[in-house]
Amino acid sequence: MILSDLLNRPVLDAEGRTLGKVLDARFVIDGAPTQLLAEARLAGLIVSPHTGTTFLGYERTDENSPWLIAAFLRWRHRGSFYVRWEDVEMLTERGVVLVAAYARRSAALSTSIGI
Amino acid sequence: MTPHDDSLAPPDTYAGQVLDAQLHLLDRQVLDTDGVPVSTLDDLEITDLPLDVSLRGTPAPTIANLLTGVTLGTRIFGGRPPSSRLTRIPWRHVTDIGVVVTLGVSGERLDATWPERWVRDHIVAHIPGGRHDPE
Repeated sequence: MILSDLLNRPVLDAEGRTLGKVLDARFVIDGAPTQLLAEARLAGLIVSPHTGTTFLGYERTDENSPWLIAAFLRWRHRGSFYVRWEDVEMLTERGVVLVAAYARRSAALSTSIGI
Repeated sequence: MTPHDDSLAPPDTYAGQVLDAQLHLLDRQVLDTDGVPVSTLDDLEITDLPLDVSLRGTPAPTIANLLTGVTLGTRIFGGRPPSSRLTRIPWRHVTDIGVVVTLGVSGERLDATWPERWVRDHIVAHIPGGRHDPE
């Protein structure tokens, strides 16, 4: 599967209500060891209720400058959240369907390599 | 949303390196083991996910290949190139991800650099002085 087929796809709850769009996919390099790096597994998805596009990740970091751009982008991504891959029930033509008991988590990057 | 929104559960922490695809991978420059530019990272191929089937209990998909190709047209007009038109660099060749993506192999051996090799061998090589380094 090509990742861009997953990005920007609608995200639905178990009852079919639209929660937003897939803003980004979070991978973690902690899978099975390979020749050089370990496998990068899909840990979860970042969902934004208002937009499917992102710019420089202001909504996921503490970066506050330039203030005007940071404030605008945080406002644009208000209500964004992160869902673990374990909370994804299935992929359908309509979008990504979450389990009924999915948890909304902060999308903040607690460990980051910087951008 | 702010990075520390009290209405949300705290962010997950992981032992391994965390990579948000759009933020840390897509559009990054790819360098080979000698630091020579190979391409830019246009997309990622992840292990297949079935449609309309419950994914509960199935292992999370992993990155199988880095994808590169001619994507200017689709970036302007939307969509993406057909999967068959994208060149694949296997994830197992990646050694480091930082500001750039570094590979552990020479770019000469990768399909991603064939246009450059073709131009070098068929055009530049026929220009006087085109077969050796500048003196």
